[in-house]
Amino acid sequence: MKNTFIAQNPSVLWFLAALGLFTFGVTMLSEVTGVGVISTSFVKTLGKTLCLCLIAIAMDVVWGYCGILSLGHFAFFGIGGYAVGMWLMYARTEGIVLESLTSQTIPPTPQEITDAIGNQIFGVVGSAEFPMIWAFADSLFLQLLMVVLVPGLLALVFGWLAFRSRVTGVYLSILTQAMTLALSLYLFQNDSGLRGNNGLSGLQNIPGFKATPQATISIIFFIASAAALALGYVFFAWVVSGKMGSVVKGIRDNEARVRFLGYHVESYKLFIFTITAIVSGIAGALYYPQAGIINPGEIAPIASIYLAVWVAIGGRGRLYGAVIGAAFVSLMSSWFTGGGAPSIPLGFYTVEWTDWWLVLLGFSFVTVTLFFPKGIGGLFDYLVRKPS
Amino acid sequence: MTLKFSSFMTAALLGGTAMAAAECADPVKIGVLHSLSGTMAISETTLKDTMLMLIEKQNAAGGVLGCQIEAVVVDPASDWPLFAEKARELLTVSEVDVIFGSWTSVSRKSALPVLEELNGLMFYPVQYEGEESSKNVFYTGAAPNQQAIPAVDYFLDELGVEKFALLGTDYVYPRTTNNILEQYLQDKGIAKEDIFVNYTPFGHSDWATIVGDVVGLGEDGKQVGVISTINGDANIGFYKELAAADISADDIPVVAFSVGEEELSGLDTSNLVGHLAAWNYFQSAESDANATFIKDWKAFAGEERVTNDPMEAHYIGFNMWVNAVEAAGTTDVDAVRDAMYGQEFPNLTGGTAVMLPNHHLAKPVLIGEITADGQFDIISQTSEVPGDAWTDFLPASKVLTSDWKELGCGMYNTETKTCVQLTSNY
Amino acid sequence: MRPIFFTIGLIFGTLHSAQAQDTGTPFQDILQTHAGEVAKPSRRSVSVVLDDLIAAGLPQTTEFLEEWSARNVWQDIDGTFFIVTSEGDQLGLRDVDSGAESRGDKRDFTQIRPNGGVRRVIGTALVQFQLSDPDLARRETALVSIARKPEAAQLAPLLASIDGEQDAGLKARKVQLANFLSARFADAPEDRIAAIESLSKDTSVEARSVLNQILTVKSGLAKDLPEGNIARVLDPTVAPDAFYQQLIDADLAPIRTPPTVVRAALEANIVEGRVADIPVAQLDTDEARNRAYARLAEAGTVPQLVTNVYRDAALSEHVFYEIYNEENAEITAAAEAALKSVEARVGWAQTADLALDGLSLASIYFLAAIGLAITFGVMGVINMAHGEFIMMGAYTGYVVQLFIPDYTVSIIVALPLAFAITFGAGVTMERLVIRHLYHRPLETLLATFGISIALQQLAKNIFGTQARPLTSPDWLDGALVFSDVIQISYIRIAIFVLALLFLGLILFVLKRTRLGLEVRAVTQNPGMAASMGINPDRINMLTFGLGSGIAGIAGVAIGLYAKVTSEMGADYIVQSFMTVVVGGVGNVWGTLAGASMIGFLQKGIEWLNPSNTLAAQTYMILFIILFIQFRPKGIVALKGRAAAD
Repeated sequence: MKNTFIAQNPSVLWFLAALGLFTFGVTMLSEVTGVGVISTSFVKTLGKTLCLCLIAIAMDVVWGYCGILSLGHFAFFGIGGYAVGMWLMYARTEGIVLESLTSQTIPPTPQEITDAIGNQIFGVVGSAEFPMIWAFADSLFLQLLMVVLVPGLLALVFGWLAFRSRVTGVYLSILTQAMTLALSLYLFQNDSGLRGNNGLSGLQNIPGFKATPQATISIIFFIASAAALALGYVFFAWVVSGKMGSVVKGIRDNEARVRFLGYHVESYKLFIFTITAIVSGIAGALYYPQAGIINPGEIAPIASIYLAVWVAIGGRGRLYGAVIGAAFVSLMSSWFTGGGAPSIPLGFYTVEWTDWWLVLLGFSFVTVTLFFPKGIGGLFDYLVRKPS
Repeated sequence: MTLKFSSFMTAALLGGTAMAAAECADPVKIGVLHSLSGTMAISETTLKDTMLMLIEKQNAAGGVLGCQIEAVVVDPASDWPLFAEKARELLTVSEVDVIFGSWTSVSRKSALPVLEELNGLMFYPVQYEGEESSKNVFYTGAAPNQQAIPAVDYFLDELGVEKFALLGTDYVYPRTTNNILEQYLQDKGIAKEDIFVNYTPFGHSDWATIVGDVVGLGEDGKQVGVISTINGDANIGFYKELAAADISADDIPVVAFSVGEEELSGLDTSNLVGHLAAWNYFQSAESDANATFIKDWKAFAGEERVTNDPMEAHYIGFNMWVNAVEAAGTTDVDAVRDAMYGQEFPNLTGGTAVMLPNHHLAKPVLIGEITADGQFDIISQTSEVPGDAWTDFLPASKVLTSDWKELGCGMYNTETKTCVQLTSNY
Repeated sequence: MRPIFFTIGLIFGTLHSAQAQDTGTPFQDILQTHAGEVAKPSRRSVSVVLDDLIAAGLPQTTEFLEEWSARNVWQDIDGTFFIVTSEGDQLGLRDVDSGAESRGDKRDFTQIRPNGGVRRVIGTALVQFQLSDPDLARRETALVSIARKPEAAQLAPLLASIDGEQDAGLKARKVQLANFLSARFADAPEDRIAAIESLSKDTSVEARSVLNQILTVKSGLAKDLPEGNIARVLDPTVAPDAFYQQLIDADLAPIRTPPTVVRAALEANIVEGRVADIPVAQLDTDEARNRAYARLAEAGTVPQLVTNVYRDAALSEHVFYEIYNEENAEITAAAEAALKSVEARVGWAQTADLALDGLSLASIYFLAAIGLAITFGVMGVINMAHGEFIMMGAYTGYVVQLFIPDYTVSIIVALPLAFAITFGAGVTMERLVIRHLYHRPLETLLATFGISIALQQLAKNIFGTQARPLTSPDWLDGALVFSDVIQISYIRIAIFVLALLFLGLILFVLKRTRLGLEVRAVTQNPGMAASMGINPDRINMLTFGLGSGIAGIAGVAIGLYAKVTSEMGADYIVQSFMTVVVGGVGNVWGTLAGASMIGFLQKGIEWLNPSNTLAAQTYMILFIILFIQFRPKGIVALKGRAAAD
C-alpha cells in the first residue's frame, strides 16, 4: 500500500527531500551552531512561513481538491494559536507569581494564587476572576487537546449545518467569511475574556525554558514546524490519492453527479472540511509561539482571503503549489514592506515599495487568475512533461 | 532556491541600514520602529519624520559623543507580531543603541518581551493606559493621571458636571482608563448610576442611538459631560452626529483623549467649537521653543503639516537620551538608563519635563477647546504632574509602585515589600 | 447668588456710585480689585466679581459681561482690561469706562478665556438684565441661561417679563420656562401641583428634569424609621455587603475582616513558626487561616472576625430608607404621578426612536448593498471591489469639494460625477477582467479581491491614510426633532430618501424598460437571449456599470454621514454581501428585506445591551449565519425557473 502510494506520488518524496535539506541547511547556518549567517529573527520568519505553508496545503485540499472555497480557515488557525497561547500565558504568569509569593511568611492559598495570576493576565481591564474560557489553561495537555478539538468541533458543527442545507459555492464562501468575522469581532470584545484587542502576548517565552536562549527556541520551533509540514504533506497526499481522493475531486468537478452515483457527498465534504480545520489549528498552534503575540486582528476576514490567494498563485490542486504560493507571497510581502526592495526613482516620482507593493500584489492576483489559472506550480508541468 | 533567497534577504536587511556614516569608531545608531504602512501609518509616519528631523538637527549640531547619528528605519506595517520581529532585527542585526517607536499598546506589548530579553532601550511616545513599567522602556507619553484624571477634575470643578458618559472604542486603553475613571468618580461622590459607559468597535459610524442616549442622561436635571476615549476614524462619525443633534459644548461638553490636531483635519470643526481635548501639548501653545519646533517641522515636512502631542514626546525623549548619553559618555544601555533618571529638558509648552525613576515623565496637563480652524484654544494648564505607572485609584494597583533607581523594580508591592517581577506583564 | 437679583428697574435706572471712586475709572477699578479672578475666572469663585459689578450698578456692566463671556476682553501688561473690538496683529481696543477707542499690538495683550462653567455663571447673572432687553437675541440668551441653570430667584422676573414680550415664539418659551420654574419654586403648593400636573404629558428632557429634581432623595439609615416624607424603605438583603458598608461608614458596625487583613494579622502573630499553635506551613487555605484567626480572636489578640451571620444580624437591626428632599408629600405624590405618566410616554417614544434608528441603519445598509444586489444578485458576479467603488464615490465627493467651495453645488455636481466615475470603473473592470471569468465565479472573487486591495492602496497613496472631510451643505445640518426623544438627523433622512429613490429606479429599470427586460433575459439564459438578438456582452457591461455607479452615489452619501477613508469600503463589503444573501439573491425586494432585517435586528440587540455595540454586531452575524443555514435561499426566495442554479 505504502509502496503504491509513494509510487503514485513521486512528488511527495521530492518534497520531503527538499524540505529536509532546507531544514538542515537553515539549522546549520543559524546562530545555534555559531555560524550565524541566518539571524534568529529570520529563523523565526522562516519557521512562521512553514506554518503558513501547512495551512496553505490544508486550504488547497479543501478548495483545490474539494472545491469548497472556505474563507474561514484562518479562524481555525487563530483558534489553535489562542488555545496554545492561553497555556503559555498562564504557565509563564504562574511561574512569576509563585516566585513572588515565596517571599511571603505564610504559604499562599490556592485562591490567592489564581487571583494573583488573574490580576497579572487581565490587569485592570478585567477582574482577577478567570473567565470560564480559561478553565483548562493550567494544563498543557488539555490546551493541546483544544488545539485539535475546538477547530474540529467548530468545523464539524458549522460544516454539518451548511452542507446539510446544501449551501454551496459562493454562498458558502460568504458564510465562512461571516463566521470568521463573527469570531474576530467576538475576540475583539474585552468581555470575551481573551484580553480583547491586545490578545495574548509574550508567547515566545516558553515556561520552564527561561534560561534557554531564543536562538535555540526558534530553531526548535523551526524544526517542529518543518516536521509538522512534512507530516501534513504526507497525510494530505495520502488523503487525496486513492479512491477517497477521486470522490473528493469528483465532488469538486460535479457535485450532483457524484451524489447520483450514490456517494454521500455531505459526509465527504464534512470530513475534508473538518480535517483541514484541525490541521489549520495545529499550524496556528506552532505559528504563534514564534510570532510571540496573537490578537483578533490576525483572524480578520482578509487573512483568510490572502490564504486563498496564496493557494491560487501557487497553483490549486497540487499540494506543492500551495507550499510555493504561501512561501513565495509571504516572503515577498515581508521583503517589500521591510524596505528590502530598492525604490525606483522615476524623476517626477519615486516608487516606494512600502506604498506600491499592495498595488502590485493586487494586480498580480488578477493576472494570475486571468492568465495562469494553474499558478506557479503550473510551471512544473513544463519541467516534468516536456512540451511535445 | 529558498536558501539563496534567505541569505539574500538577510543581506538586504543589513543593507537597509547603510546611511552616510561619519568617521567614527563605534557609530551611534537609532532604530525607528514606526508603522509606515497599514492602518497606523497615518499617525506613525509623522513620528518617523519627527525622528528624522530631530536626528538631522542633532547631526548638524555635531551629533552625539562626537559621532554622527545613523537612523535605522524599519516598517512593522501595523502588524503587531511584526513589532517583535523588527525589534529583534534592530537590536541583533542592526545593533542599534536605542529604539524610538510604537504607537498602540498592543504593539508595545508585542515588542516588550524582545526588548527585555535583549536588554534594549525603547522610547514610547504615546499617551497610554499605564499599569506597566518596564526596565527597558521610557514612557514619554501621558499616563492616565497626566491626562484623564486632570480632565475629569476640570469637568467636576470648572464645568460642574454631575453625570458622566464614558464613551470609548473597545480596546485596552479606553477600557483601563474608564475603569480608573469610574473608580475615581465614585471616590469623588458621583453615584454609580450617574456613570454611563459604552464601548464601540474601531471605525464605528452609526452613532445616532448613542448620542441620543447621552442626551437622555440629562433627564434628572444633572449637568451631563462626555469623556471620550473614542479612537481614530470613529471620531468623525461621532462628532458629525453630535453636531447634527445640535449639542453645544455649553449643554453637554465632550472631552476627548485621542483627538488631536491630526484627527481634526478630517472634520469641519465649525460645529464643534468649544468641545475639549486634554493633552500635554497643543500646537497652539505659546512659547519660543514651540515656535521654533513648528517652524522646523513645517520646513522639514511641509507647510500644511501640524504638530501634535506624541511629537513633543519624541522631542523630549530624544533630547533627554542625547543628554543622558553625553552624561554617561557611552551608549551602553545600562549606563544610559542610570543617566536618564532626573534628566530635565524644557517642554515645548513652557516648564520643564523631568524623567522619574519609574520611567515616566513629569509634564504639565493642558486642556484645550476646539476652535473653528481645527486647532485648540488652551484654557487650562496645570503645573508639572509626575506620571504614575500604577494608578492609585484601583485597589489591585494601588499597592504597586515602580522605582528602578532605588528599588530596582518596576512592579513593587508596597504592602508585602516585595518585587512582584522584574520583567513586565506583557 | 441672591444679591444679584435686584429689581429690573434698577438696571437702567440711576447709578449707584457708592463704590465708584474719584479716579474717573470706576468700572476698571472694580475689575482691578478682583484682577486675578477676572483674568483667570473659575466657576466656584467668579460670583464675587459678579456681585460687586452688579452691586455697583454701572451702565456698562451688561456689555462688559457679555464681552467677557465671548472672550473679547483682553488684558495689557499693566493689568488693565480692555474690550477688543477687532482682532488681527493690531487689536482694536475700547476702554471699559470711557468707551474710548484705541489700537494696540497683539503681542502686548493677553486674551481672557472664561471656560464653559464660568460662562454659564455669567449667563445666569446676566439673565435679569436681558429678560426685557429690546434686542431679541439677548432675550433668547437669557432664556437659554435659565434653561441651563434654573434658579428660584428667576421666577419672579421671568413672570414679570411675559406680558411685555412681543415675539410670539419667545413668549411661549417664557411661559413654558415659567411653568417649569413654578413647578419647583412657586410659593403656594397649589401652584406647584398645578404646574407639576401640566407636565405629565411633556416628554422633553427639561420637563423630566424638573420632575426628577422635585423627587430627589437622600438615603439614610436608623434603628427605627423616622418621621418625614419617606420615599421608600430599602431591602438590605439584595446587596448585603453594600448596605453593611453604609453601617461601617456611619460607625454603626465594625469593619469586615477581608482575607488580606486576616493574613496580615496572622503574619503579625507568628510565634516560632506557628500561629495560635497551627504550623505556618498549614495555613495555605482560607479555612485554616480563619481557624487560626478565630483562635487569636478568642485569645483577645485580634478583633472578632466579622462573618456573614454577624453582618446579616447587624443589617436586620437597622432600617434603610430614602427620604425626599421635598417635605410636602402632596407635591411629591403629584410629581411621582406625573413622572410615571411621562415615563410611559418616554418609553413609547424611545421605541419609536429606536425604530427610526433601525430604519435609518437599514437604509444605509440598503444603499451600500443595492449596487451589489444588481451585480451579485442579478448577474451573479462576486465583486469584492464593490466597497472600493463606494470609496471612490466618497473621494469623488471630497475632490469636488476641493474645487467647488459651495457645499450645495458641490453635492449636486458630486452625485452624477461619482456615478459617472464608478460607472466607468465598473465597465472597465467588467471588460478587462470579469468578462473572462463568468464561468468561474470563485475566481472572480479572487480577481476582484486583488483589484480591491490595489484600489485601496492606490487611494492611500493618492489621498493619504488620514480621513478626508466631506461636509454636508447647511440645509442637511441638524436634525428633524419630533421631541427630545425622537429625532433624526437630516442627513440620515436624505440617505433614506436616496435609498427609496434607488429602489424605485432599479425596479423601474428592471421591470419597465427594454434594458431591464434584456438584463433579465441574459441572466436567465444568455444563450437563448443571444439568439433572440440581444447582445449579452453589452448587457452585462451596462448592468455591471449600473451597479457600480450606484455604489459610487452611495459612497457620497455614506461619506457625508460618516467618514471618508481608504478603508471605508472594506467596512461595508461583508455586511453588504450578507444583506444580499439574507434577503435572497436575484431580487431587489429581497435586498430591501435583508437590509431591514439586519438594521432592525442590530438596533434591537444593541438595545438589549446598550453598553457594548461590538457584542451586538457579533450576535447579529451569528444570527445571520444560523438564518442562512435554515433558509439558504434568503427571505425572498425566487421560485420556478429563475431560481434554478
